[in-house]
Formats: sequence, C-alpha cells, structure tokens
Amino acid sequence: MISSIVQRIRRIFADFDATHREKATALTVMEMEELENIFALLLLGSFAGFPSPPTFIAVELLPYMERELQVLCKRAKDCNDMLAEMCGTIGLE
Amino acid sequence: MSAASAWQLSKKYRVLIVSLDPAHNLGDVFGVVLNHKKQRFTDSLYLKEVNLKKLCREYLQREISVFTNTYRYLQTINLDNYFSVLKYSPGIEEYALLTSIEETVRSERDFDYIVFDTPPTGLTLRFFALPWITMTWVDRLIEIRRDILEKRHTIYRIRGILDDKETILSYDENDDDIIKRLKTLKGNYQALSSVLQGKDCGIVLVYNPDILSLKESKRLLEGLRELKLPLRLLINNRTQKKYKAMADHVDSAMQPLAPAVPIQRVAFSERLLDGQNSTLYNIEETILSPFEMK
Repeated sequence: MISSIVQRIRRIFADFDATHREKATALTVMEMEELENIFALLLLGSFAGFPSPPTFIAVELLPYMERELQVLCKRAKDCNDMLAEMCGTIGLE
Repeated sequence: MSAASAWQLSKKYRVLIVSLDPAHNLGDVFGVVLNHKKQRFTDSLYLKEVNLKKLCREYLQREISVFTNTYRYLQTINLDNYFSVLKYSPGIEEYALLTSIEETVRSERDFDYIVFDTPPTGLTLRFFALPWITMTWVDRLIEIRRDILEKRHTIYRIRGILDDKETILSYDENDDDIIKRLKTLKGNYQALSSVLQGKDCGIVLVYNPDILSLKESKRLLEGLRELKLPLRLLINNRTQKKYKAMADHVDSAMQPLAPAVPIQRVAFSERLLDGQNSTLYNIEETILSPFEMK
C-alpha cells in the first residue's frame, strides 16, 4: 500500500519534471526545426525557385536527410498558421 | 595544340595527355583508336580520352546505392528503381570532369607532366569554378549544421530521454552523417584547389587570331583571374602571314590583360593548307618552354 503511494508520488514528480523540461526546451525545439527546415530548403531550393547549391551536394546529402525532409513537409503544411504555432510555443493565449 | 605540346615535352620527359573534351579528337590527332583507357603511344608519351558518360554513371551509381541501402524497404514493393532518375540531374557532368582531374593528378605519379585538353570556354570555366562555389556552399551548410547540432545538444542536456522508444537525434559532429559528408567534401575540394592553384600547375590559353576568339579569351582571362588560377602561357594559334595585322592586333589586345605572361605564335601549317600529308601533332614551333622544369 505504502509502496504504491510512494510510486505514485514518484510518478507525479517525474511527470512534473518532464513537463517543465519540455516547456523549457519548446522554443529551442522550434528553433532547431526551423534551422532543419532552412537547411533542407537551401539544399533543395531549386524546387521552390531559390538559387541552389551545385546539384551533387544535394545528391550527396539526400540519403541522410530523412528527418530534415519530414520537417520541411511539416513546415510547408503548417505555414498558413505559423503565427498561431509560435504563440502556442511561447504560451500566448 | 595540347597534343603538339605533349609530343614536344615527351622528347625530354614522361608525359600523359588527357582529353576532357566530350567531343574527343586526341585519338584522331595521333592516328590511333583510344578506348577511354590510358594507352602508350611512345615510351614517354601516354594518351587518354576520358569517358564522361561512364564517369557520370559511376558517380550516380555510387549515390543511388547509398539511397537504395537507406530505403531498402522499397525493394519489397519494387520502387527502388525510381532513384535511377537521378542520372538526369544537371551539373553532374562538371562534377565528373573535376573528379577525373583530381583522380588523375592523385594517381598518375609516374609522369613528369600531365597535359589536360579541356573543353571550350564555357564548360571549362564552370568546372574550374566548381571547387570554389562548392566550398562556399559547404562552409555555409556546415555552419547551419553546427547550429542545428548545438541546439540538439542543448535540448538533450535539458530534456534528456523521456521515453525508451524515443529516437535520439545525433548532436555530436562525429555522429552526424551529414556534417561528416560535408567535411569530406570540403577536404576533397580544398586539396583540389591547392593543386589547381599550386606552382606545379599552369593554364595555357589558346586563341585564334580573330575578333570573336579575342572576345571569348578576354572573358576567360577574367574568369581565371577571379578564380585565382595561374595562367602561364598564351598561344596565338593558326596565324598566317597574310593576316599578320590581325594577329598583331589580337596579341596587342591580349598582352595588357596578362602582362607577365609570354605569348607564343603558332603558324597555320602550310602543308595542311596545301592538302599534303602531315602528322598533326608535329609542329615546327617550340611551345610550352615556360613550363619546362629547370
């Protein structure tokens, strides 16, 4: 009985800790995703009409770019409402 | 002209001449059939015509194999072949040409001289510019990548791993495949730039005594200056006595643009004009003397 209460209290503290850590890193995560998005956009800029690096750099890096491409697609999908996403991240209601 | 200079140099030194022009005529000049492999012409002269298509194919095959390894699961539904469309990417030819120069310089150590016969101005300038353009891009991409890794590291240190199933993104430069690949690319291109700009390398600009050739050569000189590539000799090719005034005019327009660079004139062969038999690589003038080893 006591051990289960202790376990629950532990769990509450762990979740509390995780929530705070998540909150503390939310803005950095968004910055990181934006950088990943920019990285993918620079490499594959020709698709969006930007000047792009020599094709072979993109070809060389493409096999390792799965995550960056996912972020790029996610950003493209959410770009209609970026302001709302930023407000959500910094906690503006 | 490159065949003639290689022939002359080969009388004293061991020489390899490599034709990079997609429209090869090195074999025609020497009267032999070249099969894209290094071929002995004399004891001291070897000839090679680069197979551009094969180089492009090999390069793309390497990249496509990385793709198919990464996306191996696509093999189960027969979609892996779709990566082969990459072979139509623009810019691959210049890269293949540059790779060919780099490989030749690195691997052919037995020769005193390696002469590269390059394609016309436009393509040549594009592939000479490639190392610098690439390094500028690679430097910028490395900077952005470092910022990404730094942020990932910060996130990892604050948040830690929340869940056993969570994928940990690489945050160390030694673990990140992208930055490792970028650094390798940068290293290769730095080595190539130092070879191209080094004291052992020199560019010979060949032009004809006419106005169009003069204008094109001026643009090439400008491009070489921007790229800091060492121009060692100007050759006014196919001059004729009756058009001497034009040859003088072209030379006097070229010399101020490259003041310290000697100009060599090579006359249009009278024997060829008369339709007589003549070995195309054997010309009367001594060329490339500024290149001779002291």
